[in-house]
Amino acid sequence: MRIAFAGNPNSGKTTMYNALTGKSEHVGNWAGVTIGKKESPIKKEFSGGASEELIAVDLPGAYSMSPFTPEESITSGFVRNENPDAIINIVDATNLSRSLFFTTQLLELGIPVVVALNKSDVNEKQGTKIDVKLLEEKLGCPVIETVSTSSRGLREVMEKTAALKGKGQKAPYMQADIDMTDKNAVDAEDRKRFAFVNSIVNDVETRKILTKDTTKQDKVDRILTNKVAGIIIFAAVMWAVFWISQSKIGPLIADWLVGWIETFQGWVAGLLENSSPFLQALLADGIVGGVGAVVGFLPLVMVMYFLIALLEDCGYMARVSVVMDPIFKRVGLSGKSIIPFIITTGCGIPGIMASRTIRDERERRATAMLATFMPCGAKIPVIALFAAVFFGGASWVSFVAYFAGIALIFLGALLIKQITGHKYRKSFFIMELPEYKIPSLKRAAFSMLGRAKAYIVKAATIILVCNAVVQIMQSFNWQLQLVEEGMEDTSILATIATPFAVLLIPLGFGVWQMAAAAITGFIAKENVVGTLAVVYGLSAFIDTDELALTGGAGEVATTFGLTSAAALACLMFNLYTPPCFAAIGAMNSELGSKKWLWGGIGLQLATGYTVAFLVYQVGTIITTGSLGSGFLPGLIAVLAMAAIVVMVTIRSNRKLAAEYGAIHSKGGVTA
Amino acid sequence: MSNVIAVIVLAVIIGAAVGYIVRSRKKGAKCIGCPAGDSCSMKNIKALEHSLEQSKHECGCQSGK
Repeated sequence: MRIAFAGNPNSGKTTMYNALTGKSEHVGNWAGVTIGKKESPIKKEFSGGASEELIAVDLPGAYSMSPFTPEESITSGFVRNENPDAIINIVDATNLSRSLFFTTQLLELGIPVVVALNKSDVNEKQGTKIDVKLLEEKLGCPVIETVSTSSRGLREVMEKTAALKGKGQKAPYMQADIDMTDKNAVDAEDRKRFAFVNSIVNDVETRKILTKDTTKQDKVDRILTNKVAGIIIFAAVMWAVFWISQSKIGPLIADWLVGWIETFQGWVAGLLENSSPFLQALLADGIVGGVGAVVGFLPLVMVMYFLIALLEDCGYMARVSVVMDPIFKRVGLSGKSIIPFIITTGCGIPGIMASRTIRDERERRATAMLATFMPCGAKIPVIALFAAVFFGGASWVSFVAYFAGIALIFLGALLIKQITGHKYRKSFFIMELPEYKIPSLKRAAFSMLGRAKAYIVKAATIILVCNAVVQIMQSFNWQLQLVEEGMEDTSILATIATPFAVLLIPLGFGVWQMAAAAITGFIAKENVVGTLAVVYGLSAFIDTDELALTGGAGEVATTFGLTSAAALACLMFNLYTPPCFAAIGAMNSELGSKKWLWGGIGLQLATGYTVAFLVYQVGTIITTGSLGSGFLPGLIAVLAMAAIVVMVTIRSNRKLAAEYGAIHSKGGVTA
Repeated sequence: MSNVIAVIVLAVIIGAAVGYIVRSRKKGAKCIGCPAGDSCSMKNIKALEHSLEQSKHECGCQSGK
């Protein structure tokens, strides 16, 4: 028996789906988190004694059966065309009048419907009462009060649903037979439906706090969503997140973990005492050391995700969207772009895919192209490594990395706006702000553990294989002879990476080791840390004697041989050049155009190079009073990139002007 | 002897890692180990594209375009 989970965005469908199936699909308290259909069997304890297997199908949120966004069309397409055996309509009990519009449309399909009045606990707190029996009578289907987060009422929902198999559904309201392409007729019909819904709500709902009343939440929102104070508060909150995760709690736990990794590495090296030096290096340094260097940063990543999950759960991140909305619109992006950007702080791939919710093609493509300027979770170890080694573990490095990412999104969006000749158009971003609540530590812990598992799996697979390959390529020369100590420059890896290293001289880190790290970073960004550990023969980026990331800094910084300006430039280069290949693949799917894809990759490459060049050269002038190495060739490269952008802009604007001219002259002839 | 054991251990470790990557790729995961791997798979992208096409044809509007 297939059961569709349908309802308005942010009504709690995925939370209910997760509770019933035991899955851990991503949930969030803003609309648009679910962009695709998901299926899974319902756990036996909830199956309500049904003899056959119950399959839950989680669908993206929809306000209406007439799709307005791509993800809404998935929902309407599924319930119309794939004939589920029943529909569980998850209704936000705190917003009954808006939710029942969609309910009445679902009831018209003839498929049995069970209404789950979700978030009933919030209603209880606010003193809102809903006469469930009367609502059942009015709608002609079972109505059950539920709280997805605590699984309250879920068993009853499933029992009622299982009992409805094979039965039909009577609709309390039937839409008149109208021409669906006639906008006025559709609007008039919608108004009639709203009137019907409002009459039901008036009869069944008693509110203590009226919607028009100013609540405490409204007062807090005025401050948090203020266009000036909101940005300052957001900056302060993010700084606190980085400070706690990367300077305080994170390094403390990392220190303990690194102690274990070092002990294990020593044990492995001891076992291999009588083996060949190459096998010792490959197993103990390449695999255990390289993977261990990446895993050592896991606690920092976990603490950061835990804090961000708390911020999401308490309702704060939704307010950030409101603060950023007007700023994004000014540079030609959609207000909805903020959602992909926030998701990208976890992983670039779902972030890029979330841009699908944006209707305008140009805005959607610009969002997909720029999303990865937000540093994703894979870049955290890279940031933490450079912050620890060169800047005493300062939390400002992460803060600068994130806000520089946001600044680059603005600049990139402005550039795309210029190139595509986009004119300002009024667009609307309507977002329902969730109620503030005390965040659930359990949910934050689950979210964090999910990320941690992904991090470990990635380290034990892709990073491990890459480190092994890097170690092998570093150990042999082209004659397949083992490279002697001190002759690493003749290795396969060094000879491949050296030509790339030449291009990096104006950025201050033109050595083959850094070039190799940047190249392997395209496979997975964590590889930058793993490769540096392998090529420099380091694994202890975190000093176990000092209880902090900064402990080994002096020694590691000397081994890297970079100045602070060059180190910051190297970090910026690795953060803002194109993302990993998987994210580029997602960009390819979303952009749907090779021209846009290559344009995007070119833009990211040029941005990363230019930012790194400016950081190194300006930083070197500030710290030493003179220009850094390779200034002139670097300047020529940056100017050449700028000239290409100007040329593309002029050509594109000429083409657009010619198209407009052709349209006008055609219009003139016709007239 | 210890060289042989080390080679076997290496082959098992790297073989297991490569095997996991290949299996995940076959399942459609774009990013190995990602908790959102299911929703990121190409299957879902195709489903979304299919739904977009259907909605366009059904109502005649340009939703999703």
